Amino acid sequence: MSNIIPIGPFHPVLEEPEYIQLYVDGETVTGADIDLGRVHRGIELLAQEKTYDQDTFLVERICGICSASHSWAAVLAMEDIAGVGPTDRARYLRTIVHELERLHSHMLWVGLGGHILGYWTVFMWGWKYREPILDALEAITGNRNNYAWYCPGGVRRDVPDDVWPSVLKTMDEFDAQCDLLIGAILDDPVILGRLKGVGILKQEDAIAYGTLGPTARGSNFDIDVRRDEPYGAYSEVDWNVIVQDGCDCLAVAVVRLLEMKESVKIIKQCIKNLPGGPIAAEIREIPRGEGIGHVEAPRGESFHFIRSNGSNMPERHKMRAPTFNNIPSFRPRVKGESIADAVLIFAIIDPCYSCTERMAVLGPDGKPFMAGNDLIKLSHAKTEELRKNS
Amino acid sequence: MSKQVLEGLRAKFGDRVDIVERGTRRAFVTVSNDDWIPVTRHMYEVAKGRLCTASGSDRTTGVELLYHFAIDPDGSVVNIRTTLDKPFPRIESLTKYYPAADFIEREIFDFLGVEFVGHPDARKILSSHDRPADFHPMRRDE
Repeated sequence: MSNIIPIGPFHPVLEEPEYIQLYVDGETVTGADIDLGRVHRGIELLAQEKTYDQDTFLVERICGICSASHSWAAVLAMEDIAGVGPTDRARYLRTIVHELERLHSHMLWVGLGGHILGYWTVFMWGWKYREPILDALEAITGNRNNYAWYCPGGVRRDVPDDVWPSVLKTMDEFDAQCDLLIGAILDDPVILGRLKGVGILKQEDAIAYGTLGPTARGSNFDIDVRRDEPYGAYSEVDWNVIVQDGCDCLAVAVVRLLEMKESVKIIKQCIKNLPGGPIAAEIREIPRGEGIGHVEAPRGESFHFIRSNGSNMPERHKMRAPTFNNIPSFRPRVKGESIADAVLIFAIIDPCYSCTERMAVLGPDGKPFMAGNDLIKLSHAKTEELRKNS
Repeated sequence: MSKQVLEGLRAKFGDRVDIVERGTRRAFVTVSNDDWIPVTRHMYEVAKGRLCTASGSDRTTGVELLYHFAIDPDGSVVNIRTTLDKPFPRIESLTKYYPAADFIEREIFDFLGVEFVGHPDARKILSSHDRPADFHPMRRDE
C-alpha cells in the first residue's frame, strides 16, 4: 500500500515555502507532488504597468540570488527591440557582476547542500567563503543583492579604478579557498556515498523535460547561453563550459563546483581587459516591436520576452526563471529512490521558488492531488483507526 | 544562423508558414491553428529546438500563443505564433510529443483559459486553490 509523506510548506530543510508530497511504498518513493505558488506576486502583470526604466528594478525583485540575471535578460530584450547594444565598458562591467553573482549563488548552494546532508562543516565553510564575494559586489555596485546595476544601453554607475585591486585580491583568495573546498568535498567518502549514483536523470530525459543550467550539464546535455548566444564579454574571454556525464546528483554538484573556478577566470580577465569609455549608450525610446533576452543565470537560462507598442511601458513582459523548467525533472529523478535521498534530490536543482513564482503540481498517474486540509482529515482518520485497533 | 531551420520550415510547409526574420538570431513564424502541432513538433523533433517557454497574451485579435524555441547550436531563437479565437480558445496540446510543454501549457491555461486538448494533466498551476475554476487573471475581456 502506498503512503503519503508531507514535507512543508514550512519545514526546517526548505528555505522557502513549498509543499512536497512523497508517495512511498515502504522506504521507496513511488511518486511526488510539488505544490508551489506560495510566493506568487503577479510580477508579470505588474511589469505591464511600469515604465521600462522601472521594470529593470522590478525584475530584480523576482529573486534576491539571481537579481542581476533577471535584470540583464530584461535589458537585453529591450535592447533587442531598440536595436542598440551596450558600450564596450558596459559589457565588461555587466559580465563581472553577473559572474560574481554566479559565485555567490553556487557557494550558497554548496552551503545548503551541506545543511541538507547534515554536514555542517561544509555549510560553515561555504557560507564563510561566500561573504567576501558579497563584499566585492557591494564595493562594485553599492549593494550586496538587488544591485540596481543594469539599465538599457549599459550600466547605471561607473566604478572607480581603485576598487579593482581589492576585487582581484578577493578573487585570488577565493580561488585558493575554492580549491580547498572542492578537494575536501570530492574526497569525502560520506558525501560521495550520499551523492554518487543517486537521483539519475538520463540525457534523453534532461532534453525531453527541457532542463537548464547545471541540472542539464550534469546529465551531459551541453547547453550554455553564454557560449551558444554570446552576450556581454563572454566571447572575448577564455573559459570553458563544464559538462559531466554522470547523470547523478554528484555530476550536478561537480558541475557547480568546477563552474566557480571558471567564473573566477572570467572575472580576472574582465578586470584585466576592462575597456574605458562611456558606461551606457543612449536609448531614447523603445520603439514598437518584440524582443527576446536570455542569459545564463546560476541555475540555468533566464528568459524574458517583451512586446512594445511604442509607449513607455511594455504591452507584455513574459519572464521565465530556470527553476520552472528544472522542477519537472524531479519526477524521473526521485522514482525508486529512498525517502532519505528525496530532499537531497530535490535540492540538487538548487530550487528557487520566489524566482519561479509558480505553483507546480506533479503526481503519479491517477492519484488525486491532496490539499493540506485533506491530509489533516486523512491523518485524523488514521489516528482513529489506530485507536480502535489498540 | 537559423537559416537552415527556416529553410526546413519553408520546404515542409510552403506558404502555410509566414516567416519574419529579425536580424540573424531572431525569427517569428506565424501559423494557422491547424498547422500548430505539425510545426511545433517539427521544431522539436527535426530542427532540435529547445522549448524555452511560451508567452500567452490576450490581444484584440484573440488569445495569442508564442512558443519560443532556442536553436542552441546556432545561438538563435525561433518563435512560433498562432492566434486562438475568444471567448473559448482551444488548441491541441504539444505535451504528449514533448514533455517540457507540460508546465508551460498549464501556466497558459491558468492565466488565459486556453484549453489544451489532450493535455494529460490540465490543472491550474499557479492560482490559489480557492480561486474559481474559470478565473484567468490575464484575460482582458471580463
